[in-house]
Amino acid sequence: MMKLCAILILFVFTTPSWGKDFEAFPDLQLSDVQGLKEATRVLEEELKLAARPQTYVLIDLVGSTIQIKGRGIGLHQIPIIRWSSESRNELKGIHKLVARPSVVRRKIDPGAAGEQEPISLADMPADYVLSCSPSMTIAVVPSTAGETLLRGAAILGKSWWHHVQHWASSLFTDTPSTPTPHLQLTIAADHAQSLAWSLVDGMSIVIRRPTDK
Amino acid sequence: MRRLLLATSAVVLLLILVVSTRSINPAAPGDSQAVHQAGVQDNTSLRTLQARYKTLSKQLSQLMPREPYILVDTARNRLYVKRHDEVVLNAIASTGSGTILDKPGESKSQWIFDTPRGEFLVKTKLANPTWIKPDWAFIEEGLAVPQNAAERAEQGVLGDYALGFGKGYFIHGTLYTRLLGKNVTHGCIRLNDSDLKGVYQLARVGTPIMIF
Repeated sequence: MMKLCAILILFVFTTPSWGKDFEAFPDLQLSDVQGLKEATRVLEEELKLAARPQTYVLIDLVGSTIQIKGRGIGLHQIPIIRWSSESRNELKGIHKLVARPSVVRRKIDPGAAGEQEPISLADMPADYVLSCSPSMTIAVVPSTAGETLLRGAAILGKSWWHHVQHWASSLFTDTPSTPTPHLQLTIAADHAQSLAWSLVDGMSIVIRRPTDK
Repeated sequence: MRRLLLATSAVVLLLILVVSTRSINPAAPGDSQAVHQAGVQDNTSLRTLQARYKTLSKQLSQLMPREPYILVDTARNRLYVKRHDEVVLNAIASTGSGTILDKPGESKSQWIFDTPRGEFLVKTKLANPTWIKPDWAFIEEGLAVPQNAAERAEQGVLGDYALGFGKGYFIHGTLYTRLLGKNVTHGCIRLNDSDLKGVYQLARVGTPIMIF
């Protein structure tokens, strides 16, 4: 009887992960109603994507990560250094990437002697804008170790240009002004290149937004 | 005197009771009910949300592969076989070069030598595979495409095994092991002999392949 009790106690204390429920967002505070609402919305979207054989992108602004995922599994993770958006409420739903960032591909010369130079991560852009459908743009901006005032000014300039473009288009089309939802992500330059490499045309993107507590 | 003492004690006790009751529940009776109801509603919606979150998390976890799956990182030329979070096999691979080759006689058509990204399944498992050279293999070398199918067959270049995942793409061996870790292929995934054997043994037809 004593032995049986000892085995039972050992079993209970040595297998903690068996009984543990999987949590999609381990950083989520279960007492945060708004955070829970956002997490369930994202999960509802993600379930639709994970049910099909494809890879997709989860931009987690709460956890500050960009994840390439498939079947709910995180395949690759990129840390976000900073982000900004003036249209946070519009960043919901599933967006499709219209086209991956362009890359200059080298052409094979048939019959030429020697090895043809392949493309590599270094050939990928580090500073680019992703256009999505329904209408949304994501600017990926590289962060450099010694980020200067000039770089900051360039980022501000881009944001300003985005507003000017929108204003100009609303002038000519004579339609009420509805700005395109825009998100700016600052990530390390090599991570920006890695992201550009991993994206494919038509890839689905879901964004988890922070909530005001 | 004794009665007076008793009466005073009773009054003091009563006063203490009244004061403590008011400090525990300071709102008026009507307000107290409203606050209580709101609290109950908040708790109910919180509990509903928590339950919903846990249900959705569970549903997501049920979509994850239960058996080993193959993960390919084309940027860093790595192939992993994973079971849940555990890496069962970690191999240096060669994946697509991303170069392009014009199709002769078709002005706007070309081959793009990328390893496809997305989710695929192991469709075939072959031992001692024969490479049936496609048109681009001849054109790339500046040779004429043969009319006779037998002239396309080449033995020994794909290694001991090949795992097909559709549209002519395979995980296979290589004679050019010095190029492992580089983007040099026409879209297939190359491994060295021992890693290829490991993948062949771990994978079955239907094993998912995630490529990014």
